[in-house]
Amino acid sequence: MKLSLSWIKDYVELPEDADLKQLAYDLTMDTVEVEDVEYIGRRFDNIVVGVITAVNPHPNADKLRVCTVDIGGEEPKEIVCGGINLAVGMKVAVAVPGAMVRWHGEGEPVEIKKSKLRGVESYGMICASSEIGLGDLLPAKEEAEIVDLSAFDAPAGTPLADALDLNDVLLEIDNKSMTNRPDLWGHYGIAREIAALYKLPMKKIEPAKIDAKSDFKVEIADIDRCPRYIGVEMNGVCVKPSPFAMQSRIWRVGMRPINALVDITNYVMLATGNPTHAFDADNIKDHIVVRRAEEGENLLLLNGKELALCNDDLVITDAEGPVALAGVMGGAKDSILPKTTRVILEVANFESTGIRRTALRYDNRTEASSRYEKAIDPERCDQALALSLQYFREFYPELQVVGYCDRYEKKLERAEIDVNLDWLARRLGKHLTNDDIRAKLEILGFDVAIDGDNMHVIAPTWRSTGDISIKDDVMEEVARMYGYDHFEATPFETSFTGAINQKEIDLVRNIKEYLAIRCGMQEIYTYPWMNDVFVNAVMQSTDGMLRLSTPPAPDLSYLRSSLLPNMCEAVVKNERYFTEFSIFEEAQVFTDADYTSPYDATESLPKQRRNIAAAVASATKSVNELFREVKGALEYMPRYTHMESFTFRKETKPVWADNVVWQNIFRGDVKIGDVGLVAKKVSMDCGIKNLTVLVFEIDTTLLKPLISRTNRFTHLAEYPTTDYDISMLFDSATTWEEIKGVIAIKENGPVKKADFVDEYRGKQIPAGKKSVTIRLTIGSNEKTLTSEEIENAAGSVMKQLSKRLGAELRTQ
Amino acid sequence: MKEKIESILSEAKERIALASDENELQKVRSEIVGKQGTLTMLLKELPKVDASERPEMGKLLNLAKNEVTEMIDSKRTDLKLKASEVSPDFDCSVPGVMPQNGGLHPITQMCYDLNDAFRSMGFEVFQEDDITSEMYAFDKLNFPQNHPARESMDTYWLEGHDNGPTNEKLCLRPHLTGGSVRYMQTHKPPYRFVYPGRVYRNETTDAHHERAFFQYEALIVDKDITFTSGKVLIKSILSKVFGTDVPVRMRSGFFPFVEPGFEIDMQCQVCGGKGCSVCKHVGWIEVMPGGSPHPNVLRAAGLDPDEYTGFYVNIGLDRLVMMRYGVDDVRLFHSGDLRFLSQFR
Repeated sequence: MKLSLSWIKDYVELPEDADLKQLAYDLTMDTVEVEDVEYIGRRFDNIVVGVITAVNPHPNADKLRVCTVDIGGEEPKEIVCGGINLAVGMKVAVAVPGAMVRWHGEGEPVEIKKSKLRGVESYGMICASSEIGLGDLLPAKEEAEIVDLSAFDAPAGTPLADALDLNDVLLEIDNKSMTNRPDLWGHYGIAREIAALYKLPMKKIEPAKIDAKSDFKVEIADIDRCPRYIGVEMNGVCVKPSPFAMQSRIWRVGMRPINALVDITNYVMLATGNPTHAFDADNIKDHIVVRRAEEGENLLLLNGKELALCNDDLVITDAEGPVALAGVMGGAKDSILPKTTRVILEVANFESTGIRRTALRYDNRTEASSRYEKAIDPERCDQALALSLQYFREFYPELQVVGYCDRYEKKLERAEIDVNLDWLARRLGKHLTNDDIRAKLEILGFDVAIDGDNMHVIAPTWRSTGDISIKDDVMEEVARMYGYDHFEATPFETSFTGAINQKEIDLVRNIKEYLAIRCGMQEIYTYPWMNDVFVNAVMQSTDGMLRLSTPPAPDLSYLRSSLLPNMCEAVVKNERYFTEFSIFEEAQVFTDADYTSPYDATESLPKQRRNIAAAVASATKSVNELFREVKGALEYMPRYTHMESFTFRKETKPVWADNVVWQNIFRGDVKIGDVGLVAKKVSMDCGIKNLTVLVFEIDTTLLKPLISRTNRFTHLAEYPTTDYDISMLFDSATTWEEIKGVIAIKENGPVKKADFVDEYRGKQIPAGKKSVTIRLTIGSNEKTLTSEEIENAAGSVMKQLSKRLGAELRTQ
Repeated sequence: MKEKIESILSEAKERIALASDENELQKVRSEIVGKQGTLTMLLKELPKVDASERPEMGKLLNLAKNEVTEMIDSKRTDLKLKASEVSPDFDCSVPGVMPQNGGLHPITQMCYDLNDAFRSMGFEVFQEDDITSEMYAFDKLNFPQNHPARESMDTYWLEGHDNGPTNEKLCLRPHLTGGSVRYMQTHKPPYRFVYPGRVYRNETTDAHHERAFFQYEALIVDKDITFTSGKVLIKSILSKVFGTDVPVRMRSGFFPFVEPGFEIDMQCQVCGGKGCSVCKHVGWIEVMPGGSPHPNVLRAAGLDPDEYTGFYVNIGLDRLVMMRYGVDDVRLFHSGDLRFLSQFR
């Protein structure tokens, strides 16, 4: 919301030399956020009033003229101009070098410089109103019409801002910061707040004196929705422009002046925050009734929208039917037209939530509805009425008030709150004297009565529409008037009950750090929704997936039940720049199943788990290398992150996996995830070009952190052990699992350990065979083994392998 | 003979001094004190020397031989001290090899930094699910049925769960505070916890607006906590993030779930508070809302607001990370783009 400082000063005695920076700061700290302070006059720097003394043809251009313009200096200036309404003696706005203008009112502002136009020197520019940002205030009737300032009493050379009295300051206030303060919507409300902050006197709007001849009739059928309605019937008006000063103020704060009748209603709304409306009295049949609409009742609005109303809408009606959507917009039938001579002025109060529902229902939010929906107090009608009549009488000396009716059916109750002073001191962390507290509240319009430890507070009407309702609200008022910045930071005391021990939370962090730091993977974030392309490619079905009803895009509607589709999308994106990379993500996944009520019996939430997934992609490494890399990351994860270990076996093939290269991951008997090669078809459907991609995904909610570090100390070997490599030929289909099963490791036997070194197929290996190199660790608990004993131990392993698995010793 | 010894000695001295490596030293040794060395040869000639001079010459020869050996040994030690494994043109200015090439997301890093700070002050870390009901997104937080915030926090509703009473309507959480109520419902006061998490708003994205972003909520609830204790929380957060004490100010702000409510601003770290384009020339940047939980929120959590109060802050992590590193487009965080992410290792 934009507020004019000069307008605010109509209602509060703000000193001429007030420090505006400080004012903006204080309002921001204590009341509402002032986003910007703008000196309007600066928009018109280097723009002055000029008087045209001669208009001559341009030697080289038919549409241009060469004007001689007096701009107050010693010499008149020659200015080339294409305006169609140039005339000798006319007062114009001249932009001299240094001024900022928008060519033809469009685009970014550009700086005026002395220049040649079609070969003729031009000192500056004679402006159209839109070129200097005055299009709405001094609208042009035709294009290429320059703005005529002849009506303004200002000699040549007067700065334009002075000539138009635009040396005002705008305060721009963040609307969000005042949603809870309906009393501040309007210049009068802000003035009242400033008066309180600086202890300045107000210039109050005194109630109107009305001596209507006849009693104009208004009926309110629903007093909850319309607590108050004032109707004033007036003769002797006409449609004409309002005085420039009023137009100027309306324009400064961002609205467009229309005509005097409409301008008064807008001006009063901007001043008091209470919307008002003027009906053409000739179009109102009989008297006004405020009632709920009938189902399906029609109303054609001022903006041309034809509504079929419902019973929740509040309407203003005459004998023939609805004439306005209450608090939102007038109807077409009753609107002010050029021939209007009699009006009915509405100054009313409507209940906030109903107005809001109606405005939203028809997607028709207006300046009026956005104010009513904040909950305005009905007492404010008095100020709106007084101000309206003041201007009607000023603009129309012939005005006759022929009818008047104030139906104030549902009086506003001022909020009354008891505040315990001891409680207040404890919550403030500071002891303020009773006088101090009283002064801070009274200046805001509260009535305060203190009796011992209790303070009885009565809020002013303008703070009693919901804003102030509990003692915490009163505390806030005291605190902000004291100034939040004046409270020192106070340490909080705490009771110590033991160390924080959150194993599950720590485990996830440990895993992420393990993957990032030990495994060299980069963590990524992706959205919780998935692109249909990747859902189809990777998951191959949308069964059990939750879906957004208003997705960010039509093809982004499914919520992830797995992290892999987005992981594959990230692989595709990064393939443009990298030939080898590994990434992981930890995030929530959702399934449309297993609904539970973890907190509230009436609530039912779907299954939500947290997964960790990773992708290792390379354009050069073999599947074998990549598989071992990914599996290594998984196998060593439990050890480095202190959780129960995993086992791997084939049970159910994941839909996205290659037919051979995959395993399921288990913790005990619980399946916690999968690891495998992304199948070629899946990879192609995703748009992955050259990368081989291995992925895993595990459910972190199924992992089990160790209660403590559980590995035990083992004695250092007393006698040396020897590493002994054997290479043997096996059937190609023999697995390491099988080989390992054959090599017996006994507590007291010589073979302490058997490790996989590598396997090889190809040259020098017969078809259908593979060579496997195994590293045996051989030693004894009692003595140093001789080389013969070592050979024997290895030999017996080899014998077992050949007997049980048909392995042959590899001959070079 | 005496002259010969002296001349060999001085030759040896000179050659040893000039020797630049082990090979040359070896050569000197064999040519002078080796089997065929000049000194050794002289020693062999000793019997031919006149007997009267023989003892003296013998002594001289032995001394000379010892001296040469010592000189060679000391030179050898000298050479070893000055030697290198590699040739002198080894280039130490070539860059090193990165030990690992992985890393945590910059927001995760920020989150863990803050967790560490809060843990050290005795706060627990809380985590909750992304999908919630409207009841916990709004009702429990004192948002009246028709409150504009229900609309301004444009919410992602779930298909098939987007109608009916608020306990049946499901959405991706628009903020974390509803989850804080869940924490309070399931734990016993006093509370001291932080709650990091991703939240979702259905809005148009640009360099400063995202549909999914991270919040970090911190809450203390205890008997008779004053909102001024909140200043301690805020200062802790910012000094952890920026490494120095950052001036902060609390000003009046309105959020339905707090009373009183604050907007918390920090001094602009770009201009040091003088005013610049980043802070729109005011010298302050809005970083978080905060305040004391509204009595209705405490009631929703099953607490007596006359007995308990507290302080709450909710920090936009994306914004803080952007300020920390000078990132100018919030959308990069969810891009999965390694060219961006790899800058924060």
